[in-house]
Amino acid sequence: MSSEKEAVISLKNVDKSFGNMVVAKNISMSVKSGEIVALLGQTGAGKSTVMNMIMGTLRPTGGEVRVAGHDPYNEFDKLRGKLAVSFQTDRLLPWRTTVENTELGLLILGVPAKEARERALTWLKRVKLDGAENKYPHELSGGMRQRVSLARALCVDPELILLDESFSQLDHVTSKALREDFAKVARQYNKTCLFVTHRIEDALEMSDRVIVLRPGAGIALEQSIDDAMRADETRLRELHQTIADRMGSGPAA
Amino acid sequence: MSETDARKVAPTAGANPASSQAEPTRREGVLPVIVVVIGLIIAIQIASFYLPPFVMPAPLTILYATIDILRTDYMHIGVTALRLLVAILFAMVLGIFLGIVMGVFPKIRPYIRSLVIIDTGIPALSWMLLAIFWFPQPEVRIFFIMSVILIPFYALSIFDGIRALPRDWVDMIESFRPRRWQVLRYLILPHIVPYILSTTKSVIGYAVRMVIFSELIASTLGIGSRMSLAQSMFRIDTVLGWTVILIVLNLLLQTALTALEKQLLKWRAEASVR
Repeated sequence: MSSEKEAVISLKNVDKSFGNMVVAKNISMSVKSGEIVALLGQTGAGKSTVMNMIMGTLRPTGGEVRVAGHDPYNEFDKLRGKLAVSFQTDRLLPWRTTVENTELGLLILGVPAKEARERALTWLKRVKLDGAENKYPHELSGGMRQRVSLARALCVDPELILLDESFSQLDHVTSKALREDFAKVARQYNKTCLFVTHRIEDALEMSDRVIVLRPGAGIALEQSIDDAMRADETRLRELHQTIADRMGSGPAA
Repeated sequence: MSETDARKVAPTAGANPASSQAEPTRREGVLPVIVVVIGLIIAIQIASFYLPPFVMPAPLTILYATIDILRTDYMHIGVTALRLLVAILFAMVLGIFLGIVMGVFPKIRPYIRSLVIIDTGIPALSWMLLAIFWFPQPEVRIFFIMSVILIPFYALSIFDGIRALPRDWVDMIESFRPRRWQVLRYLILPHIVPYILSTTKSVIGYAVRMVIFSELIASTLGIGSRMSLAQSMFRIDTVLGWTVILIVLNLLLQTALTALEKQLLKWRAEASVR
């Protein structure tokens, strides 16, 4: 029971179907406080569906989803300020400058404007965007825009950060730099993160644990990763292969 | 005015007027106007050689009439401009409100949309005649006529704007669990600003025509009533003088709106097609 209390995210026997189409089946998983967990799977494996159920924008067909002790769908407002999301695309509002986009979540949470601005500026510095505070989104590069999106999520000081393929639209070099910076900041401030990705390399590099989903089936693999494993190339290659096999293994019989 | 007319002036659903086209450069905007004006002056001058003065006076006669109007009848210009401004502002506020209600409350949407569409199907002339029956005060008549004609333009345009709101932005802002008014403040209102400006730019010429018509039949003050008086006295030079003033008024309003647009939409990227 104690481990359940510590879990920021907890899914128990969760199913989700749209009509006759089963998208997620019997998924049970948890993410503990301060953990960085990668949710891996090929297209159609149900990663985004699981993410949306955790965000509270989708109601599960069966089972139970709890986030920070609340049902995210039925108690949507209870998670105000406890959860932040960084999406695949930056989703910056074009009429707001970098700093205005960053402080948006804080203003919604009712933080006074002056304090919100100070906190936004601090986070922009942490994601190496000082100097670009007053630029509009169209004046920034793709990598810079994604950094603003991450700063916007981190700025509200949430218990949980969800990253939905946040690095997948960037080029390899920018994506790697951003992943490293994000993981460093997340660990430094002890943030709980669940990030969805289809890129095995991203998951191995950033996460404490990987969870692999199979299309219409459920969890195909759950594996912890530590720095020792990351330093051992042979073990890492084997794990990479195992994950690739499980991701591509299709629906369970 | 029909719904089709209203849709013509409204940005197409799904298209963001903020990024639809590049602003014309100053030279592109001013030079053609000068060329066309000079061409018209020459055409009027030539026509005045062959036609009697009560059909086509010379440009110089029109100029004198215009100066005379500016000297003696400037109050009527002010009255018309004020009526225009008040009516446009009121139609804008109510149209934005109706557009937002249509966009945000799906259960009420069909009723308001039906009301707006019925309104767009009623000819402007019907509203003018009805206003004369219903309201004894000229100011109320003109305000009513202008409002019922202009409101649908704004309502339909804002509704289209809200329908064109990217789902991604809604999901992003909802991830912070905002109150409904916060979605309105931080997302919907800034998003519809380009739609408001674009609709205003499109309706301003139409609104000028409508206020003149309204004054012509429903008031003894304003440019429309003075044009009617000039016509009854066979003063075609004065009618043309008023027409010049109306064209200038329209140009001034368009220029002011363009300046306002530049200020309010400074965030948008300028795009151009080769």
